Amino acid sequence: MKYFLYWGCSLEASGSNYLESIRPVSKILGLEFEEIDDWNCCGASISYIGANDLSIKVLNARNLALAEAQGGYDIVAPCSSCYIQMVKVNHEIQENEDLKAKINAVLKEGGLNYTGSIRVRHLLDVLYHDVGPEKIRSHVKKPLRGIKVAGYVGCQTVRPYGEYDSVERPISHDAILQALGAEAVPFPKKMRCCGSGIFLTEMGYCMNLVKDILEDALNHGAEIISTVCPMCAMNLEAYQHRINKVLGTNFDVPVVYLTQLMAVAFGLDMKVDAALDRNYIPPEVVLKKAIGH
Amino acid sequence: MADPKKKGKAEGPVSYDPSFSKEVFEKVDYGEKIKMCMQCGVCAASCPLSMVMDYSPRKIFALIRAGKRSEVLSSKAIMLCTSCYSCKVRCPRKVPVVDVMHGLANYALKQGYVPREETALFGREFWKQILRLGRIDEKDLPRRYFFSKGIIPGIKKSMELADMGIVLMLHKRMKLLPERSVKGIKELRKMLEKASAMGNGGA
Ligand code: SF4
Ligand code: SF4
Repeated sequence: MKYFLYWGCSLEASGSNYLESIRPVSKILGLEFEEIDDWNCCGASISYIGANDLSIKVLNARNLALAEAQGGYDIVAPCSSCYIQMVKVNHEIQENEDLKAKINAVLKEGGLNYTGSIRVRHLLDVLYHDVGPEKIRSHVKKPLRGIKVAGYVGCQTVRPYGEYDSVERPISHDAILQALGAEAVPFPKKMRCCGSGIFLTEMGYCMNLVKDILEDALNHGAEIISTVCPMCAMNLEAYQHRINKVLGTNFDVPVVYLTQLMAVAFGLDMKVDAALDRNYIPPEVVLKKAIGH
Repeated sequence: MADPKKKGKAEGPVSYDPSFSKEVFEKVDYGEKIKMCMQCGVCAASCPLSMVMDYSPRKIFALIRAGKRSEVLSSKAIMLCTSCYSCKVRCPRKVPVVDVMHGLANYALKQGYVPREETALFGREFWKQILRLGRIDEKDLPRRYFFSKGIIPGIKKSMELADMGIVLMLHKRMKLLPERSVKGIKELRKMLEKASAMGNGGA
């Protein structure tokens, strides 16, 4: 199965452990990922500060037009912010001929055109629907037995349309965790927002959002948190010690990407393939216990 | 926390002044969608930061109807939106609350209001970087944001958050080379210029 992997700006930097683990895992699952040549940033959830809505739409339409010209495969976004930006712009273009004409009038300036044929998807969607938990289970060599994982879905991951999972009670993340042999703990705040793109500038407020999420995961017995978005991962992992200092908590819970857990369960190398050495709070101890090393 | 006195005054005895509503419908991205709002409050109840907003999204829409222009455009609420989309998926009248909030923030900044200074600075640097590179350079952007208010505040803020940068670098989560611009940057800039002029609030 061939797709475009639109990994976005974060996965080349703060989310590098996500991209590193996506590569070997997708190879095992037979997912063929190509890069969209000369892709640009999606604008994330903060570009409205500096740009009007049409500019943000054009930014995304350029990627859609490039993908259409380069083969027209589904675009897969592993970042929930990239996903929601692109899926939204794509839908609005597909549903509104006037908007499409307007956008194409702008794209023309760069010699591009978009007819509206592309499908935008989240990596979680592809893992759950195109690959499926059964096939994932069949590749597990070292089941993550006995390990309690909180499957944090995040707010943007299945929104705004709920095309592949419920926008209120999603099950795909947990289903994959279970296929890996892990125990997906009940986790009511699995969709509660982590502060997203305004964390850095509104830290005082957003630290409390993360505190509530982490507490909920830990209160339900989680030993580790799984994520499918570089922004969620960053906000949940990198600020834990700062939150401890400011809010008097005692957090030190590893936060990993679902694909890192998949790499470990598939029996791949913890460093080269799962890129666990790139995590800030070391997840190795918990994972080694699970796979019996 | 919101000031209850201010709240009461702003929403006040309901008087309708259509001039600001008209302005919002015409000039704010997604602004006309609030015509559908029935003031049920589902968005307010869903919003993760509504407890620290001066007015909830529902109240913002009520204030627009009441013609409270400066209250709305200076309200920190319109810039505290985390873009979680809870409101948009739950609104029974299909108001894209999140998109309206973003539209209001964009419009307020253009009108010279600065409801949240830090997010405004960061967001502006973010967009400048898109115009410069077509992509975001995660090590360069925070630096530009930290120093956007000058050298001294820049040094202070960099020091406050130095641990984050060091940790990311040590864990190979920072690209060491500077980000290069996309190949089609010239065309991209041309398109964005045109979109900025054609869209709402454009030149
Ligand atoms: S949920 Fe929708 S209808 Fe209800 S107050 Fe909010 S915007 Fe208005
Ligand atoms: S998208 Fe914004 S306004 Fe809507 S619930 Fe989330 S934070 Fe509140």
